[in-house]
Amino acid sequence: MDLALQLLFTGVGIGAVYSLVALGFVLIFRATNVVNFAQGEFSMVAAYLMVVFAVDLGWPYWLSFLLALAGMALLGVIFNLGVYYPLRHRSFLPVIIATIGASILMANSVLAIYGPQPQVLPGWFDTPGFQLGPVYLDSQYLLIIAVTIVMVIFNFWFFERTMLGKKLQATSQDKEMASLLGISVSTMIMITFIYSAVLGGLAGILVAPVLFVSIQMGSTIALKAFAATIIGGFGDVTGAIIGGLSLGIIETFGAAYVSVPYKDGFAFLVLVLFLVFRPQGIFGERVAEKA
Amino acid sequence: MKLTRREFTAGLVSGIAAPYIIGSARAEGATTKIGMCTPVTGPAAEAGKYATGGAKLALEAVNKAGGVLGKPLELVIEDDQTTNPGIVLAFSKLAAQSDLVGFLGSIRSTQVHAMAPDVLKLGKPVMFGGTDPNLTKMGNPWLFRCRPNDSFSGRVIADYGVNTLGKKKWAVLHSTDAFGTAGGKALSEAIEKLGSPSVLDQGYTNQSQDFTPVVLAIKQSGADILGSYFTFENDIGIFARQLRQLGVTIPWVGSPSIVNVTALKLAGPALYGTYGVADYAEESSPASKAYGTAYREAYKVAPDNQSSWTFDAVTVLAAAINKAGSTDPQKIREAIIATKKFPGAEGEYNFDDKGDGLHGYNIVKNEKGNIVFDKHIEFTD
Repeated sequence: MDLALQLLFTGVGIGAVYSLVALGFVLIFRATNVVNFAQGEFSMVAAYLMVVFAVDLGWPYWLSFLLALAGMALLGVIFNLGVYYPLRHRSFLPVIIATIGASILMANSVLAIYGPQPQVLPGWFDTPGFQLGPVYLDSQYLLIIAVTIVMVIFNFWFFERTMLGKKLQATSQDKEMASLLGISVSTMIMITFIYSAVLGGLAGILVAPVLFVSIQMGSTIALKAFAATIIGGFGDVTGAIIGGLSLGIIETFGAAYVSVPYKDGFAFLVLVLFLVFRPQGIFGERVAEKA
Repeated sequence: MKLTRREFTAGLVSGIAAPYIIGSARAEGATTKIGMCTPVTGPAAEAGKYATGGAKLALEAVNKAGGVLGKPLELVIEDDQTTNPGIVLAFSKLAAQSDLVGFLGSIRSTQVHAMAPDVLKLGKPVMFGGTDPNLTKMGNPWLFRCRPNDSFSGRVIADYGVNTLGKKKWAVLHSTDAFGTAGGKALSEAIEKLGSPSVLDQGYTNQSQDFTPVVLAIKQSGADILGSYFTFENDIGIFARQLRQLGVTIPWVGSPSIVNVTALKLAGPALYGTYGVADYAEESSPASKAYGTAYREAYKVAPDNQSSWTFDAVTVLAAAINKAGSTDPQKIREAIIATKKFPGAEGEYNFDDKGDGLHGYNIVKNEKGNIVFDKHIEFTD
């Protein structure tokens, strides 16, 4: 039982990271109907920005955090103008390929500037964690779980209760209709890219103290987050959260009770099972309607 | 004077060709050249910088001592791009230069495997640092290893754990890639030979984001010592932190990556008190110490095995050519094989007829982030 509780905590922690990155995938997919394969690199770039501000320049952590997120917002604008906007009237394929190209460019640019060695980013708290009964609670994982809960609530409030959120939803559901109603579609898409970049960056900054800051960190997380969005139902915010958490828990328990080397295998086995038996994912109805 | 067309053409050709012929003749006569494949670009570019630094330091020392065959030694460097196709291309460029008499290959076994067929075809000596034991068992007489191979690291970890630390219940943890699997197997076999088979043999995939299941398995196995083969430093960092957080404090003896500068930086205090096998340990011998001092002075960074093996490779090769008294590949080969009791930065070189120069490892301890030499374990069989 003690073992299961420890595994559950870690599984939820790592799953929360997948959920945060998966949210970025879903938001861009809903707004533009394309998968942004550079979502993982947003996390990586934000983590490196934190290293520059908080470690190299020695600025206060909170200030570095805000500056890194501001940097991500700027990257979202550049990404929209440089990658999506010129191809917005083309089919989804050129845009997807452009996002892959952008991800390679980002990874190699950081490699050229920072070199291949992984970097250390300290966590928010001085205490690495504490023991609660039989379970060791890592403070950074606790923070990740808390931020994920806050982001779920914030997303619900933002998309369901604010005019801007409703405009974004309208744009994602029917661009022509939204345009006829006086909504600036290009502005809404710009905001979506900014929000997704900030969200991806937030995930990267939160996970960096646990997984270290490396060029590969984004692609490793993004692959799992992508699987999480498919499991949850592509295009569904709740699905992304549930998909991410399920994936984290399944792979942690699978590794402990079946086989450690096949840990990644469990995650992708679940993905394949969903693609075969329920391709629309757990919360798939809305995607089916949209298609 | 009237110039005929033939005279004009002859004059033009000799005008263009002369500087090259003179230059080439001068070049051939002026220096003894060796080639070096090293990562200038790619993921190991940083390590490549250290490797080049070590080789250049040796070059200076050799030239200060009179050079090779009475001429200065010259190093010709080609970028191997940290990839297998990259090193094949780099080596083919070097091999095409007939005045190169010997070469330095890679510290990565996979790259040495990739270039090995071309080395055999060329028939000139290549010094390398890859630690896969098979590299000197393939019947390729031109490969010479300047680091101890992995069969020794497994035996040294087992010997130290059992005979020095007095532990019997082993948990063996290794990456599932070629290096980790071979290392884990060598360690398990060595432990079994010493009469205490492992209670846990656990593989993991590279770039794992979480080691909780692994740590809990070690905890539940009742092991009193951990032996490990990690490939990537960030995996060591994550594992070490989780191991300590979940309360596992058993002694831990790891493969060379555990004392790697990057691993120490990432894991910090989580690696304090651990042991590692290291081919280069600054305090292990007077030659190692002298090299460490010279390297620090030249580059202002701490020396490690990325540079020490290239330093030794150039030094051993230069000494062998001088001893052979000729640039004939077969004579150089015989001189390398005859190299015995040669004090290098990595240890004392005693080449066997397979091409292995070193037959043991140093055990070092992480004392609050400082790597301290503990003992050297050498094998004669």
